[in-house]
Amino acid sequence: MNILIVEDNRELAVEVYDFLCNTGYICKIAKNCADALEEFGSNDYDAMLLDLGLPDGDGFEVLQAVRKTKSKIAVIVLTARGELDDRINGLHLGADDYLTKPFALTELAARLFAVIRRIHGFTLNNLSIHGFLLQLQDYKVSFNEVPINLTKKEFDIFQYLVLNKNRVITRLQLTEHIWGDILEVNSDSNFIDVHVRNLRKKLDKHTSIDWFETVRNVGYRINE
Amino acid sequence: MAIFNALTRLLVILVLWLMLPILVENVVYRHINNGLIEKKKKFIDNLNQKEINDFIENQDDSTETYSQFSTLHSEFLVLSRVPIKPHQKKTSFSNEYRIIEGEENEYRILQHHFTYENEDYQLEIGSSLSEVKDLTFIIKLFIIIVLVVILLVTFLADTFYIEYLLKPFYKIIDTKIRRVNEPELFDHTPIKAKSRDFRELDLVLNQMMDRIAELFKKEKQFISNVSHELLTPIALLKNKLENLLQNDSLDDNAVDKIAGSLKTLDMLKKIINNLLLISRIENNQYEANENINFQEIINDLQEDLQDRIDDKGIQFVNKVEYDFVFRGNKTLIHILIYNLVTNAIKYNKPDGKIVVFDEFLENQYSISITDSGIGLTESQIENIFNRFARVSSDQEGQGLGLAIAKSIAAFHHIEIKVTSVLNQGTSFVLLFPETPKHN
Repeated sequence: MNILIVEDNRELAVEVYDFLCNTGYICKIAKNCADALEEFGSNDYDAMLLDLGLPDGDGFEVLQAVRKTKSKIAVIVLTARGELDDRINGLHLGADDYLTKPFALTELAARLFAVIRRIHGFTLNNLSIHGFLLQLQDYKVSFNEVPINLTKKEFDIFQYLVLNKNRVITRLQLTEHIWGDILEVNSDSNFIDVHVRNLRKKLDKHTSIDWFETVRNVGYRINE
Repeated sequence: MAIFNALTRLLVILVLWLMLPILVENVVYRHINNGLIEKKKKFIDNLNQKEINDFIENQDDSTETYSQFSTLHSEFLVLSRVPIKPHQKKTSFSNEYRIIEGEENEYRILQHHFTYENEDYQLEIGSSLSEVKDLTFIIKLFIIIVLVVILLVTFLADTFYIEYLLKPFYKIIDTKIRRVNEPELFDHTPIKAKSRDFRELDLVLNQMMDRIAELFKKEKQFISNVSHELLTPIALLKNKLENLLQNDSLDDNAVDKIAGSLKTLDMLKKIINNLLLISRIENNQYEANENINFQEIINDLQEDLQDRIDDKGIQFVNKVEYDFVFRGNKTLIHILIYNLVTNAIKYNKPDGKIVVFDEFLENQYSISITDSGIGLTESQIENIFNRFARVSSDQEGQGLGLAIAKSIAAFHHIEIKVTSVLNQGTSFVLLFPETPKHN
C-alpha cells in the first residue's frame, strides 16, 4: 500500500519512512505543500501522513485539495500544535485521525492500520472473506484455522483485493499499490498474473474460489 | 599585465637608445658647426692682406699655409693658397683625422674657399671631437642608467598598483562568477572597490544575475504548475474511470474501452512525470549530498525487479563486489540504474542473461550492465539517449528511460559508455568521476 509522508523535518520523515517501509508499506516523502500536491496527482495513495506546518503553506491546504478529489485516501494529521481548534478544523476538513508530536512509531502504525481498515469498511483487526482469515498485522492467512503459506506479494495482492472487495481492481492499480511507483512508461505487467495465478492455486486447494474473478483483460475482483 | 607594460616600455627604451647616437651627434655637430661658422665669419671680416701675409709668411715650409693651434690642440686654423676648382662648394664640413704637433685627433673641420684680391685661398678651421666623443659616451651611459631605473621602478609600481587596482575585479570573478552554480546562491553583497568601473561591473553583474535568477524561478514555478495542473486532472479522471468500471451493466466492449483509456492515462501520467524529472535534473533542483552504496542499490533493484526478471526467464548475475561509496542523490542514482536494468530486461532475449559488474580502472570506479539482448547498431547507439527514441518500431516504450539516465549521469558527472554487438547484447558502462563531484 502506498503511503505519502508529508513532513518538512527530514530526520523525522526518514524515521517514519524507514519504519513504515519495514512494516511493508510503499512510502514516499514530500517535504512541502507543492511536492505533496504533485505526488498526490501523480500517484494513487492509500494513506497520507500530513504535517501541518510546512515551509510553503499550511497542511490544511493539502487536505482540502485532497478531499476535493473524493478519493479514498486515509489522512492522518501529524502536528506539534495540538490545539483544539486545529483538531476541529482538521476533522471537519476530513482528516481521519490525529497524532500529536512526539509520537511513538508503533502508535502511528496502529492508527494508520485502523484508519485504512475503517475507510474500506472493516472494523476488525482481521479481514475475513469466504472462510479465509487475513491477519493483517502479522501477514498470515488461514482457512478454518489451517494456515496457508503465501509469499509477501501474494499476501499483498490478496489483502488489497479484499480491502477493495466488490470492486474491479485493474492490473495498473495492483502494480501501483504493490510494486510502487514504476516510472517506466508502458512497462509490461504480466508478472502480476503470475502472482495471481499462484495465489489462486493456493486458495483453490481449500475451497472453491469462484468469487475471485478475473475481469476480462482488465483486472481482478473479489466478491463478497 | 605588468609584464606586458614593462615589455613595451623596454621596447621604447631600446628604440630611444638606438636613436641616441644619431640624435646626440646631430645636436653636437650642429653646435660645433655654428661655432666654426662664427669663427670663420670673424676671420673673414677682419681679413686684410697683411694678416694673410702674416699667416702665410710665418709658415716654415713652402706649402704656403698658415696654421694656428690652440693649446691642448682642441682647435686649429689653417690658411693656404689653393686654387678654387670650378663647381667646388664654397663651404663644407667634414670629420677628419689630423696629426697636429705629432698627436692624431679627430676634428670637425670647416673648409672654406674664398678669393681675396685675385688670390684663391682655402681656410680650414677645426675643432677637436675627442671631448665630444667623451661627452656623448657619458650622456649615453647616464641616459641608459636613468632609463633602466625608470623601467624597474615603473615595473614594480605597475605590478603592485595593478594588483591593487584589480583586486576587486578578481574578487568579482571569484565570488560572483566562479563559485556560483545556481543563481539562487548568488552573493549580492557589493564588492568594495575604489574604482567606479568595478563598482559598475559589480552592479551590472548583480542585475544580470537577478534576471537569471528570476528566469530560473519562473521555470521552476512553471514546472511545478505544470505538474500540479496537469497531474491533478489526470488523477481525477483516473478515479472517475475506475469508478465507472465498477458498473455491472457495462458490456465487454465498454469495459475494454475504459481499461484502454486507463492505460493511456497511466502512460500520459508517466510521460509527464518523466519529462518533469528530466527538467528538474537539468534545473539542478536535486541535492547531491547522500552517500550511496552500490551493493545496496543493486540488491534493492534486484528485489524490486525479480518478478519481471523471472517473468522473462532471465538470469540476473550480480558481480558487484567493491564497497565504493559515491556522493550524490540516492533517488536519482537508483532511477539511473533502475532504468538501465529495466532496459536490459526489456530488450533481452527470453532466457537471456544480465550481468552487473564493477571494477576500478586506474582509480576510476565503473559499473557495467550487460545484457544478452538484441544489440544495437552504431546509428542506434547514437540515438538511444535522445528523448522518445526507440530501438525498434515493434517494441513499445516511449524511450524516456535512457534520456533520464543520461540527465542523471550528467548531473553527477558520470560518463555513460555504450558498446554493443548486434544479436549478442549491449553493455552500458557507468564511469564515475575520480574525485566525486557534485553540484
